[in-house]
Amino acid sequence: MFFLTYLRRELRHRMRQALIIAIGLGVGAGLVVTVTAATSGISNAQAAVLHSLYGIGTDVTVTTAAAVPKSGSGGLGSNAQQENSLSVGDAGLLNASSVTSISHLRDVAAAAGGFTLTGISLPSQGSGAERPAGAFPIPTTFSVDGVDLAHLGLGPFASAKISSGRSFTASDTGSNVAVVDANYATAKRLTVGSSITIASTRFTVMGIARQAQGGGSANVYIPLGRAQALTQYQDLSSLTGRIDTIYVAATSASDIPAVHKEISKLLPAATVTTSGDLASEVSGSLATAASLASDLGKWLSIAVLIAAFAVASLLTMAAVGRRVREFGTLKALGWRSRRIIAQIMAESAVIGAIMGIALGFGAASLVDAIAPKLTATVPPSFASGNTNTVGVHLAAHVSVSAILLAVVLAIAGALIAGLFGGWRAARLRPADAMVQMQ
Amino acid sequence: MYTLSDVTKNYRKGDYTVVALGGLDLSIEDGEWLAIQGRTGSGKTTLLQMLGAMDRPSAGAVRFSGRDLAGLPEAELTEVRAASIGFVFQTFNLIPTLSAIENVETALVPLRIPAAKRRARAAQALADVGLSDRAQHLPSELSGGQQQRVGIARALVKEPKVLLADEPTGNLDVDTRDEIMSLLEKLWREHGLTLVLVTHDTSIAERAQRVGVMKDGRLFTGAEPDDAS
Repeated sequence: MFFLTYLRRELRHRMRQALIIAIGLGVGAGLVVTVTAATSGISNAQAAVLHSLYGIGTDVTVTTAAAVPKSGSGGLGSNAQQENSLSVGDAGLLNASSVTSISHLRDVAAAAGGFTLTGISLPSQGSGAERPAGAFPIPTTFSVDGVDLAHLGLGPFASAKISSGRSFTASDTGSNVAVVDANYATAKRLTVGSSITIASTRFTVMGIARQAQGGGSANVYIPLGRAQALTQYQDLSSLTGRIDTIYVAATSASDIPAVHKEISKLLPAATVTTSGDLASEVSGSLATAASLASDLGKWLSIAVLIAAFAVASLLTMAAVGRRVREFGTLKALGWRSRRIIAQIMAESAVIGAIMGIALGFGAASLVDAIAPKLTATVPPSFASGNTNTVGVHLAAHVSVSAILLAVVLAIAGALIAGLFGGWRAARLRPADAMVQMQ
Repeated sequence: MYTLSDVTKNYRKGDYTVVALGGLDLSIEDGEWLAIQGRTGSGKTTLLQMLGAMDRPSAGAVRFSGRDLAGLPEAELTEVRAASIGFVFQTFNLIPTLSAIENVETALVPLRIPAAKRRARAAQALADVGLSDRAQHLPSELSGGQQQRVGIARALVKEPKVLLADEPTGNLDVDTRDEIMSLLEKLWREHGLTLVLVTHDTSIAERAQRVGVMKDGRLFTGAEPDDAS
């Protein structure tokens, strides 16, 4: 087919000109793909951060505000001074029966209760000789999560990976067994089989766990039933039948808003937080990158894309200007204008498609290769009870859809450029071409 | 073949109107070789454009094989150029990225001739001008004379009724000029073409059956070639 022969020859022999146009288009399309891939990477990073806090699979959390301590009761302050105690964090208490109620809601796939607690350990009397006379003992604190053993797939423990020992089983409900975070275990020289004292009760470490993103994990995980039994709160000697967080999985991502609505209706006083709400509260370089990607990146992409299209159009028109004699001759030979326009547009489209793929893929791969480390800081009001700084690597994966986007954008830009070039060629008359040849 | 009646062509240049052709009358017979001479700006190229269906007159009629080109829509003018008229240009006007044989093929593309047949006809046309061994060469790899031979092959490959040549030897040295003119004359005789050739060169014009001299937008035929100077 002569069309293809002509196309191939033009692209091969006018390589430099084609490259200039292609680079212009490729930069525009490549930037859009990079921003798209980076935004996707940031979204994945955010999901990783949220998973480290709430566990993979948790879509909604339910908490409630802490009750005002009754006059004369100890509240948080009272048990904080007790040796080897377990106390509730900033969140208020919910009835464990709410878990069952929520699990029966229409758009809920599963629900689990949990406790985010703080263990306080004071040095024993025996070590007092080492302290200066009259000095108060310095308490050490560690975070404890009460894990709902019936729903290990929900909550912060869901994303923990056992590196040694074993995880919980349903038969551990009433046992004094614990899974310890790997970093905490290293710091406290704990191994599988070691003992750890929580609220004056000895627990056996049966597993060491490592969280995928590290920072959001508790130091110690114990069965929820044991956490409830050992925790003191205000004038309650135990919190059996109470929890402070409910982790909920929706039947699908699109059902999350409905789940939010249903729980809010069921528990009007509760604070219902979706993963989207939490994402908006995450700060740090991850949040900055997300903001940059969605705001600056988007507008920068549009601006560069428009500039790239404009430059490509001008270059294509200039190229047609240099080929006036050629196109005029073809018209004199009886070529129709639409055939010449098709030839110009095909040249542009091939240039755009090749460079769209090459530069789009290349730019995003560069971000992927560099993989800058971003951090996310989550405010203390969330489930962990502590401010968590989580480090994640930004991976701008080039998906098939991103490559398709690059190709579509580059071809669109090339066709626009080709249209301008074709429009100029179509306006040529064979006689005009001959006049310019004089 | 051609009958031009009171053909006028005006161009607007700013506030001025340039009269390129002013009431030109001309008849050209089938198989005739007409040479046109004249000073620069006398309207030679404009006349060639009218004959070649490349432009329309501002007034008057350009009848070609019984059809008035002035009244034909653009699509039909394109068909006339594609099927019936061959052009030879002073600057050869070959597509620089296409080989010699592909350049010849460009003249057959609008006629929708199948690729194999198109290639065979182009190869024969190149053979007719003695360039079979240069078929795969790019224009930049050919001499001026060889490029003009390719241009002539491109003009004749579609077997047109008319061959319009605008200063075909204007960019060639004397030896090559004579070589090209001998080739054109031979092909004119063999193909029974109507040949209209614009030239400044009196020695070339002398070879024609008839010489016309353009002056102030009008053609004076039957004149002696020397009148052009």
